[in-house]
Amino acid sequence: MTMKSVCEKETYKAIFHTYSETLRNFIYYKCGDLQQAEDIVQDTFIKLWKNCAKVLYKKVRSYLFTVANNAFLNEVAHQKVVLEYQKSNVKESTTIDPEFLLEEKEFEEKLNEAIASLPYRQREVFLLSRVDKKKYSEISEIIGITVKAVEKRMSLALVTLRKKIGNV
Amino acid sequence: MKKQYTDDTFLARWISGELTPEELEAFKASGDYKTFKRINDKAQQLKSPSYDKEAAFSELLENIDAKKKTTKVVKLVPNWVYSTAAVLVVTLGILFFMNNRSTHFKTSYGEQLVVTLPDHSKVNLNANSSLEFKAKHWEEHRIVRFQGEAFFDVEKGTSFKVSSNQGTVEVLGTEFNVISRQNYFEVRCYEGRVRVLNPDNDIEVLLESGKAIRIVENKGETWVFNEVTPSWIQTGESSFINTPLKQVIIALENQYKVKIDVSGVDLERRFTGSFTHNDLNLALKTVFEPLDITYTTTGNNTILLKDK
Repeated sequence: MTMKSVCEKETYKAIFHTYSETLRNFIYYKCGDLQQAEDIVQDTFIKLWKNCAKVLYKKVRSYLFTVANNAFLNEVAHQKVVLEYQKSNVKESTTIDPEFLLEEKEFEEKLNEAIASLPYRQREVFLLSRVDKKKYSEISEIIGITVKAVEKRMSLALVTLRKKIGNV
Repeated sequence: MKKQYTDDTFLARWISGELTPEELEAFKASGDYKTFKRINDKAQQLKSPSYDKEAAFSELLENIDAKKKTTKVVKLVPNWVYSTAAVLVVTLGILFFMNNRSTHFKTSYGEQLVVTLPDHSKVNLNANSSLEFKAKHWEEHRIVRFQGEAFFDVEKGTSFKVSSNQGTVEVLGTEFNVISRQNYFEVRCYEGRVRVLNPDNDIEVLLESGKAIRIVENKGETWVFNEVTPSWIQTGESSFINTPLKQVIIALENQYKVKIDVSGVDLERRFTGSFTHNDLNLALKTVFEPLDITYTTTGNNTILLKDK
């Protein structure tokens, strides 16, 4: 069995397609600066290309997230994370009365505010799970912590959000 | 109602659908459920900022190309390290060499020089004299090679040796004047005590302050003097007590850079007195008139002496 080499263009491209978006989001959820996040992704993949002979295919994911995370820790100025809501429900919602829509809008704003003010360790877990639909086991590999720790952060994030939003 | 999710992974398990039916049922019945459900529902509608993988990838390829073009080859050991190392080696070599080397001081005709040794001992070199010592390990081995005339003011410490062809002076901390020339050795002790060794003539003398010894024609003779510092330092004149005439003439030659032709005089005489360092005519007069010697200046800076 021959090992896939990261130095092959096709493999490298496949790796990019698999991980670059999650990587970008991962950094973005931490720092809230999209430009910075995308720059870090670029730098991280350049580094991967330079070191392609040294990085085993199996270790690529942890390599990418570690390098990106280090870059984040080193240089990123932290900003507020602002996400948009998908408009997929809009069609269904048109029949609903305007008061409900207004209330819904208010809730969305509150939630966004609450997410933005989460500690970044909670935020990255919460968003990777809810937005990027990553399983806890995947998140644990990305961040480099145990599944149990991911679950704790996830629960904490929910409690924090719940407190910030209040009863609805 | 809080206790339902006091288990610190309860909510996480609810999100991932891992709660038992009983747990879920109880949770649904709680007042908080509605809010949590709404948070979860809404959060799942969130989307990350749009991302164009293809564009990002082609940007990446450009970046890699650009990096390649501008990438400098950084040597593991840059060139400057080699040059620095070389400079260091040379410098250390020179330092080592210098440390091991003797330090030389030399005076020419009519010159005087004050030399401070590493332990702040002072040496006044009179004209036409030389001094040599090793600065390294000075504190342990205070030894100087010396020829000519010099006054030593030695700081207290380990044994201090003045070694010359005519003999050795050994002290512990004192002031003394030494003259060491061909066939002539003279030591005057101004302070403390000095030991004078002249192995050739089997002479070993301990001089106290105010005493002096000279070794001339293989014989030692001692005398007493009462200067506090040598006159050649203090007043700019050389003084002599019952000194062989030849030594006085050598002193004159050293001070004034002249040659003195002694073929016409009897050198087996002694001189007591002094001469100035500033005026050759006056010096010649003070030395030779009392001895009834005439002196005439010829060309080539030579002075011809003749007994009357």
